[in-house]
Amino acid sequence: MANDPFKALAHPLRRDIVERLSGGTATVGEVTRDFGVSKPTISRHLKMLEEAGMVSRVVDGRTHRLTLRPESLAETSDWIETQRARWERLFDVVGEYLEERKE
Amino acid sequence: MAEEAARMVRIERTFDSPAEDVFDAWTSEEVIRRWFIPQEGWQEADAEVDLRVGGRVQVVMRTPEGNPVRAGGEYTEIDRPNRLAFTWTFEDDPSNEQMIELEFTERDGVTTVVFVNSNISAERRRDQQYDGWSTCFDEMERVLASK
Repeated sequence: MANDPFKALAHPLRRDIVERLSGGTATVGEVTRDFGVSKPTISRHLKMLEEAGMVSRVVDGRTHRLTLRPESLAETSDWIETQRARWERLFDVVGEYLEERKE
Repeated sequence: MAEEAARMVRIERTFDSPAEDVFDAWTSEEVIRRWFIPQEGWQEADAEVDLRVGGRVQVVMRTPEGNPVRAGGEYTEIDRPNRLAFTWTFEDDPSNEQMIELEFTERDGVTTVVFVNSNISAERRRDQQYDGWSTCFDEMERVLASK
């Protein structure tokens, strides 16, 4: 599924791009500096982020500016938070149980 | 695996109890039953623990109509009181077998638990059953918060 935000975030390089863009709009060069990978590789990863709707690109002559679309991340983090809440709850129960057994 | 990092939950918590007690609480049927506190009108949950590698941990909640709602997994590593690992599948997401790994470290009678839940898939996250579950958990948290 090309537009799956989970898939889009399932690579460390793409997560780095998203992280760098969280500070605001930046050019492709700024965002991918020091990555040490080829331009075609960077293009491929950017394409996945764009297809997932996480990053938008504005072309201004030779400059390509990228912007993060934070609303696309909300769904991903909501789901992970639901999973986390379930297990946090089990930790709470373990804590209560241990306290009761001390009494 | 770095590729899986986006689908991982890590929780670290400290308990004022020896590692053996904390480990035993994690594998206690009573604890697992209480974790799945039913909503009002729901029947009491059942929990079964077969604590051996390859053995199952299983919980069954029952709706007011008596329909079962299940979650469970299989123990893959049991090293009391240091490590515990098991697979886990929620019935609301049956195609996704998740992995749970726990490490217990005791110092001066205080035990730190590091929990890692990996292989969380989101393929079926829009399923109707998920909505039901999330309502149930919201309800649970509300009830607990009002105590």
